[in-house]
Amino acid sequence: MKEKAKELRKTVLEMCIKAGTGHVTSCFSCVEILVALYYGGVLKHDPKNPKWKDRDRFLLSKGQASPLLYAILADRGFFPKEDLETFCQPGGKFGVHLQNDVPGVECTFGSLGNGLGIAAGMALAAKKNRQNHMVYVLLGDAECYEGAIWEAAMFASHNRLNNLVAIIDRNHLGVTDWTESMLALEPLEEKWTSFGWAAGNTSGHNKNILGVFRELEFRRNNIPTVIIANTTKGGGLSFMSNDPKWHGLAPSGEDAERARKELL
Amino acid sequence: MISQRDAFFKRVYELAKENRDIIVISADMGTSALEPFKRDLPGQFVDCGIAEQNAINVAAGLALEGKKVFVFAIAPFITMRCYEQIRTSICMMNLPVTIVGVGAGVSYDESGPTHWAVEDLSIMRTLPKMMVYSLSDAEIAEDIAKLATISAATMYVRMDRKILPRIDSNIRINPLSDIVILSCGNMINIAVEVAAELQYDFHSIDWLPIEAEDTEFFDDKKQIITLEEHSLVGGFGSAVLEVLADNNIQIPVKRIGMDLSKGYCYQYGRDAIQKHYGLDKDSIIKAIKGE
Repeated sequence: MKEKAKELRKTVLEMCIKAGTGHVTSCFSCVEILVALYYGGVLKHDPKNPKWKDRDRFLLSKGQASPLLYAILADRGFFPKEDLETFCQPGGKFGVHLQNDVPGVECTFGSLGNGLGIAAGMALAAKKNRQNHMVYVLLGDAECYEGAIWEAAMFASHNRLNNLVAIIDRNHLGVTDWTESMLALEPLEEKWTSFGWAAGNTSGHNKNILGVFRELEFRRNNIPTVIIANTTKGGGLSFMSNDPKWHGLAPSGEDAERARKELL
Repeated sequence: MISQRDAFFKRVYELAKENRDIIVISADMGTSALEPFKRDLPGQFVDCGIAEQNAINVAAGLALEGKKVFVFAIAPFITMRCYEQIRTSICMMNLPVTIVGVGAGVSYDESGPTHWAVEDLSIMRTLPKMMVYSLSDAEIAEDIAKLATISAATMYVRMDRKILPRIDSNIRINPLSDIVILSCGNMINIAVEVAAELQYDFHSIDWLPIEAEDTEFFDDKKQIITLEEHSLVGGFGSAVLEVLADNNIQIPVKRIGMDLSKGYCYQYGRDAIQKHYGLDKDSIIKAIKGE
């Protein structure tokens, strides 16, 4: 898992360096979360049949982390790895934010706050269709400022969507500032609990996150689950982590070399 | 006589009994038209509460899983409060969701301008592949309900809140006249009266966008008058101007609608509001005659 995370960080870094853009730090805070889902046997998926009806659905509501999901989908075999080289290139397959026309991508994202409601709709459809798959959605923590998140939170618990798991990438940073000094999100876990969710928190950068996914007992609950994964924005790169100035940027020149060395 | 809303949802209900994939989402709409869904088809009825952004996102999620979704709320709220969700979650993925808004124009007259839908045509018709239907009577509402259940298009169905008299939308008053009045929704009633008095031709257009082939009904006229209970900026009249310009049809157009640069008004009663904006019959005739 560690090796895979490292490999994916390198791939994402090179995609963004080549493109001269991309949200490197937003990707790096959720690498281990996605590795756990896609490589830890959590998310049922079939790269040869992206629309397999019994697949688990994964929605990347923080669509700015698209390079990471694209890198994983290519690595899993949804499309050729060479396509990654066209990230944000003229005539390329994908841009900064997530597009649902890419094999393996469930839904277009880029505007924050919409993923939880869409995931709730998908989970509700699964209930109505008597399907047993799960719907996972990854939210950014600063995305939780959006009111639509809380509309959806109310809706999901009321409708007893125990097939819905939200993961919050709690890196404590928005675009410009720490969440707690900009506009406090805490007490975050209690907010979710009071909205009728089963809530818990864990580290998002080690094997604990996989353990949490494996131990989830959603079927015993009749309510949706939220996992607050404590992470570091830019995690894995010392000089880019926990620093708002790197939001939405790719390193270049000396910084790019420094980043490459750190990931060796 | 029944309302457009009741006619529409009666037909949706009949179709939903045969098709379990039809789902109706309501944003806390208290109407007897939805009671049969709650009573007989509870699995196909979802109430989101007064939370339009979530209603649209949930609709998108259901549609991504193959459901045929109708989202029902008051027109200004289900278009404006959640416009970004409609654009991103529905239109960017071309999902076959039907957005149903009741309260076209100023038909929530006593509720005041918060409840008017007088900018919705402008903003909804700019969305790609969005079919916009401005219903003019209950009979058409039934037809559109059926069309929506079989269509793969994204739709916005704009309903009047009041029960409107049935007017044959194919009615022609004086087809030989060089002047035609084009109108939609509730205003076709006044348009027909004005056309009859002035002996002009009349043509109703319930849907937007107006396609090039639709211009055959008026491309031989010498003067076009458009009439709408909607802002003049970007609405029905603007759509007519665009189709004419884009097809190099050079006919003078006089647009009659709501000049919102006058501001919103707090008059109550539809007649009073129409008079305030010059949309009553007498004001319209004066405007046409340049008085």
